[in-house]
Amino acid sequence: MEGHQRNLSLYERFNARVLGVSRDDTITLKYFAKSLDLTFPLLSNVTAFLGVSFYIQPEGQPIFGRRTVVIDKKGIIRYVRDGSPDYKDILLFLKKLNQEGGRP
Amino acid sequence: MKRKELTILCLVLVVAWLSGCATTETTQKPYRLSQQGTVIWEDEFEFMPPPPDWKLLRVEASENDINFGFMRQDPGGYPSITTFAYDEEPFGCGTKFEQREKEFFKRFLFNAIIQFQILERKKVQVVGGEGLAVTVEGKDPIKKEKVRAKVVFGKRGDRVVGFYITQWRTMDGIYDLSAFEIFDKFVTSFKFLKKSFYETL
Repeated sequence: MEGHQRNLSLYERFNARVLGVSRDDTITLKYFAKSLDLTFPLLSNVTAFLGVSFYIQPEGQPIFGRRTVVIDKKGIIRYVRDGSPDYKDILLFLKKLNQEGGRP
Repeated sequence: MKRKELTILCLVLVVAWLSGCATTETTQKPYRLSQQGTVIWEDEFEFMPPPPDWKLLRVEASENDINFGFMRQDPGGYPSITTFAYDEEPFGCGTKFEQREKEFFKRFLFNAIIQFQILERKKVQVVGGEGLAVTVEGKDPIKKEKVRAKVVFGKRGDRVVGFYITQWRTMDGIYDLSAFEIFDKFVTSFKFLKKSFYETL
């Protein structure tokens, strides 16, 4: 998450916005964001429908799997990676997408 | 006949497997020595290495992991150890040193659950520009351990990078400040040989 925060100005340059989504409640997310000095939005999805939609809700578990998804301005998923975010790979992809005119 | 074919197939598989192992054995080192005695690390950094009793420490780079560093087992047994490292992405997000310092110390050695006392904070010259050096000491009264650490923040392009040394001792142990002098030489000698990924993006 700190990696995304460090890269906010670069995301801005490539016309991208970052959102975090988790199953935690809003109060927990508020404290989490404060502890890491995060300024981008964190979305609370307690009912888990987003996790189910993105196939990252392990059955019987109260948390999402970790996945990075880039969605372009038409709503098409253009990039998916599981596990810890590869920030350099994400930036290179966003740069390429921005050059193509397919703003995230 | 079938049995012979099976044996040959097994041999091929074993040979293929062994040659796979050999490939990993011949992995190239990420560094080379210059004629001046400095280390050139992946053609990206240059620095003066510590004496040979320091072991190279390398963690695969990912979120908040160090890039590389050195460690030395000190006399006196556990927890007497000194480690120093260069970190391309130190804890925190701020691009101003004072802000980054606050963010960094919220999480530095957070597994140890210790409170730091600042011993010294001063502006320094590092990697060709202004930086901030902070020396701290932390104590863990439960485990009866203490740690002395120095963190030096510098800039690479717009981003803050960090160097840090930690020296752990038992509560009544004595710090070896010569290790901090070796760390200072490492930091002072440190140079970037090319622009970072972020500067070329």
